[in-house]
Amino acid sequence: MSSISELYDVSWEEMRDKLRKWREENFRNSEQIVDVGEELINEHASKLGDDIWIIYEQVMIAALDCSRDDLAWSCLQELKRQFPDSHRVKRLAGMRLEALERYEDANKLYDSILQDDPTNTAARKRKISILRAQGKSSEAIRELNEYLEQFVGDQEAWHELSELYINEHDYAKAAFCLEELMMTNPHNHLYCEQYAEVKYTQGGLENLELARKYFAQALKLNNRNMRALFGLYMSASHIAASPKVSAKVKKDNVKYAAWATSQISRAYQLQHLPAGVMLTSLALSISTKTPYTTAASAGVAVVIEIHGRRQT
Amino acid sequence: MGEVELSCLAYAKMYLHASQFPRCSVNGLLLSSSAAGGAVCITDCVPLLHTHLSLAPITQLALTQVDVWCSQTQQRIVGYYQANACASDSSPTPCALKIAEKIFEQCNNAVLLMIDGEKMFPGCRVPPIVMYERKDARWALKDKHTIMLRQWEETCSIVNQLFSSGDQALLVDFDSHLDDITKDWTNQKLNAKIMELVSPANGNV
Repeated sequence: MSSISELYDVSWEEMRDKLRKWREENFRNSEQIVDVGEELINEHASKLGDDIWIIYEQVMIAALDCSRDDLAWSCLQELKRQFPDSHRVKRLAGMRLEALERYEDANKLYDSILQDDPTNTAARKRKISILRAQGKSSEAIRELNEYLEQFVGDQEAWHELSELYINEHDYAKAAFCLEELMMTNPHNHLYCEQYAEVKYTQGGLENLELARKYFAQALKLNNRNMRALFGLYMSASHIAASPKVSAKVKKDNVKYAAWATSQISRAYQLQHLPAGVMLTSLALSISTKTPYTTAASAGVAVVIEIHGRRQT
Repeated sequence: MGEVELSCLAYAKMYLHASQFPRCSVNGLLLSSSAAGGAVCITDCVPLLHTHLSLAPITQLALTQVDVWCSQTQQRIVGYYQANACASDSSPTPCALKIAEKIFEQCNNAVLLMIDGEKMFPGCRVPPIVMYERKDARWALKDKHTIMLRQWEETCSIVNQLFSSGDQALLVDFDSHLDDITKDWTNQKLNAKIMELVSPANGNV
């Protein structure tokens, strides 16, 4: 089997830089990290200098993700040798135990870290991850809430909590978490869009209007967010179709929906893709004629022509 | 109830979908190109989501899209599949039950298929699937003997071939399509590759 450097014609420096990029952007492309990292470690360890330790850590975590316990173990040994009393290395040892589903042993390790250092957030979060892995959602939620009372600025934790709530269908609380995230990350279009999706799912006229507003906000922040565009169409259409809205609100929302449709059509045409199926189904998404809709339509006519079958 | 046949194409794509996103719950729709009545022949599947399965807008959009596409290609939606992120838990989630209900409203022998993550390892002798059917207003486990996977050995080897040739990366689900609309959620390319691998002696799969 040829090496990465041969396959892709890259130097060891390029491989090292790629690893750094993936590290900094927190990518979870574990198979790639293992391929590149393993070769770097085996062939070029001496050239890496002090970078090697952080690479060992990165490769170890990726190895656990790919069930490569052999590689994870050897990375861990190197790290243990170099940093014998480190909590950071202990946490990695704990993660390995988690990967082997030895949750009790992992918890013991994390508890010993917390005894030494009660403010160690990494250990606390690993304990919560164990609860999640064991399917103990309510406990995970409870622990995460307690954690966030202390560490209220931990974005990753807020997002994790929103995911847990979404899985439990507790949309109101998920929305609350996303509101926290939007407050501290006002330019992040993904949080806006996720918040809008939660509101849409909650349903009801007020939530649909909020959904539409936040889909629009997401689009303002990133006009290529297709989910937001479709979401805008669907929420505007549902509002327009509702019997409870005034004529003006109906008119405005029909306009928003039509705008969204034209943007969608344009996006597909720019890529020379037939938009037929997409647009037909949009019109149907809010009508009573198809089975897969929730709102009743009352005269919202967004008539689209079929452009053709979808093909590669 | 009735018999259900699962084609190599449908099985392979479901398996690839679950393998592509091992840390996420994934879901998709099961399609049939044969006429209604008699045994349910699942001839294809459309992988849908790997994020936020229980949020409504994209699910609604995807369901309607696939429905329209099916009517244009003489197929019907006959079932739903899901693989949970937590491999040890293959029980249907409320979201799975909800979507399966919707499908059942249109197709009275609809099936709900859960992928059993614990059985998804190379060399496993048993198909990693658990099927449910509608019985007395609830979803009940289907009798294993009414589920047919033609040429199981061949199907396994085809899946392995796809992995070794790297073709498993060709699979596109609806979520990926929304991330990049140039990607084809009907998976024409991958379908062609799989059908090539299916032995011509089979006739229909």
